[in-house]
Order: sequence, then structure tokens, then C-alpha cells
Amino acid sequence: MKKVNHTLVVLLIVGVLSAMNGVIAQGKYIDKTGNIAFEASEELFEPVKAKNESVTVILNTETSEIAALALMKSFRFKNSLMEEHFNENYIESETFPKATFKGKLTDFSFSDLTEQDRDITVNGTIELRGKEKQIQTILKVKKSTDAAIEIKGLFIVTPEDFDIDIPSVVRNKIAKEIIVSLDFKLVKR
Amino acid sequence: MKRKKIIIIAIVLIAIISAAFVYNYVFNSEHRNIAEEQASAKVASADLFTEFQTDETSATARYLDKVVEITGKVSLVEETGLVLNNAIQVNFIQGTMPEISLQKSIIVKGRCVGYDELLEMVKIDQATVITNTP
Repeated sequence: MKKVNHTLVVLLIVGVLSAMNGVIAQGKYIDKTGNIAFEASEELFEPVKAKNESVTVILNTETSEIAALALMKSFRFKNSLMEEHFNENYIESETFPKATFKGKLTDFSFSDLTEQDRDITVNGTIELRGKEKQIQTILKVKKSTDAAIEIKGLFIVTPEDFDIDIPSVVRNKIAKEIIVSLDFKLVKR
Repeated sequence: MKRKKIIIIAIVLIAIISAAFVYNYVFNSEHRNIAEEQASAKVASADLFTEFQTDETSATARYLDKVVEITGKVSLVEETGLVLNNAIQVNFIQGTMPEISLQKSIIVKGRCVGYDELLEMVKIDQATVITNTP
């Protein structure tokens, strides 16, 4: 009889724990193949742009916290020499292999999302090359037909934000302001 | 006199053409072809993961941008890639997703692009299959 009781207690604990786990994990949405592109092109010169199609994004719909991570080596340029310069001279990706973003969506509620774009402000910090930069931008957020969360948006950074020194020879070929655009599709995990 | 002129023109032409070739080679050279490169290391997926977890800086110095051959067990199959032992995220060259079976042992070759601490996985891109028994 005692043994039976014991098993029951263990079962109960396991049951409660897994239920709790379910609650905690409920609000997690994730994208492992998020897109981030940046462009720093100047007119008349060769376009300076690259795309990363394997960005990780995690959104907690209960706390509205959002985090993203992009590995620098995953940025692909059309021109292989430009890609090499980006990695070796500007980003120094051997030393600083990633860029991260940690932030929070304001006035975000998952139940308010529809299949129409909704403007939602995000506040957070980008970290790149050991430097931090505060970012605030308005994102377009919607729920897709397959119950995923789609997020699109853009923001602007400058090379100085991250202590990136552009040599004078190429200074007029690279824009002072770099437009970073993002396109994420997060599915429930 | 006429001959001299022709020789000079020929030399100038050759110089222009070779300059164009050099320019093209330097500024428009092709991207690396990971599938054709020799792997610089052969490693088990669990070992690669442990190396990045214990000392990310030294593992980065050792593996970043290098072509590695990885042995592991398929723990997840995705649209354009797979996960080995819940530790290595592998993405295949666009449009080359092979037929993969869950839980099977597989050897892949690809470029190591670093450690993703959100996923807690090491990332490999431009991968190709070395041996696979679906």
C-alpha cells in the first residue's frame, strides 16, 4: 500500500512539473532561418549589400521579450572580394563572430494580432564588435494563416556606432548610413 | 617602320587584355566552392559542440570559416537542413536537400560559421552529404 502511495506521489510530481513546463514554454516563438539584409550603397558605385538567411530569432509572447542572433560569416555578398573585406577588415569576424539583439516589444499582445500588419515599437540593444547601440524602430507584425508570427521592419546604423573605421580610399563608395532590413517568420515551439 | 608600329600595337593590346584579366580575377573572383574543398578537420558532432561550449574563442579560432567533416546522428530534419545530436545545425547548399532519415547516422561536410548561443548549437552552412543511409 505504501509503495503504491509512493508511486502516486512521484507520478503527481512528474505530472505537475510537466504541466508547469508546458505553461512556461507556451509563449515561445522561434525562427531559425530569419532574414537580415543590409545596404550601404552609394549611387554610381558598386552596390554594397549582403544578406543573411539563417538568423535566429526568439520571441516570448508572454513577456514580449525578443532576441536575435546573426553570425557574421553567414552574410553573403554577390562579390566575393567584398565579402572578404567585410569579414577581415571591417567586422573582424574572427574576433567578433556574431551580432546580437535583445529587446522588448511595447504594447504587444499576441491575442491582438490579426492577419493584417500591425505597427509595434521595439526597443533594445544591438551588440556588435563589443560595442552596444540602442535601437528603437517600428515593426510590422502579423499572424500568418498557418499561425506563425511574421515580423518585418528596418532600422539605420552607422559604422561609427560600432567603431568600424572606413579607409578614406573607399569612404565615398560606402554610405554613411546603413539600412538594415529584417524579415522573420516565427513558429511556435 | 610599319612593322614597329604593329609590334607596339600588339604589345599595348596584350597589356590591356592581361590587365583586364587580372582585374576580373581580383574583383570578380568566384565564391568558394565548399563542396569541392578538402575538409580541414574530421570531427564527431558531440566533440565539436563540446569544444565550442567549453572555450568558444579557441574553438572559433580553430573552426570558423573552415570546411569540416562531421559525423553525427540526425535528431531533426528540416526544409533546407538538419540537426545532428541536438547540437549541430546543418544547412545544405540551396536546392540540394538530400533524403534524410531521423535517428540515422550521417556524415556531412560544410563550412563552420560559428556558435549560436540562442539555439545553443554550432552552425554549419553550404553542406553536402558524404555518407548517408536513408
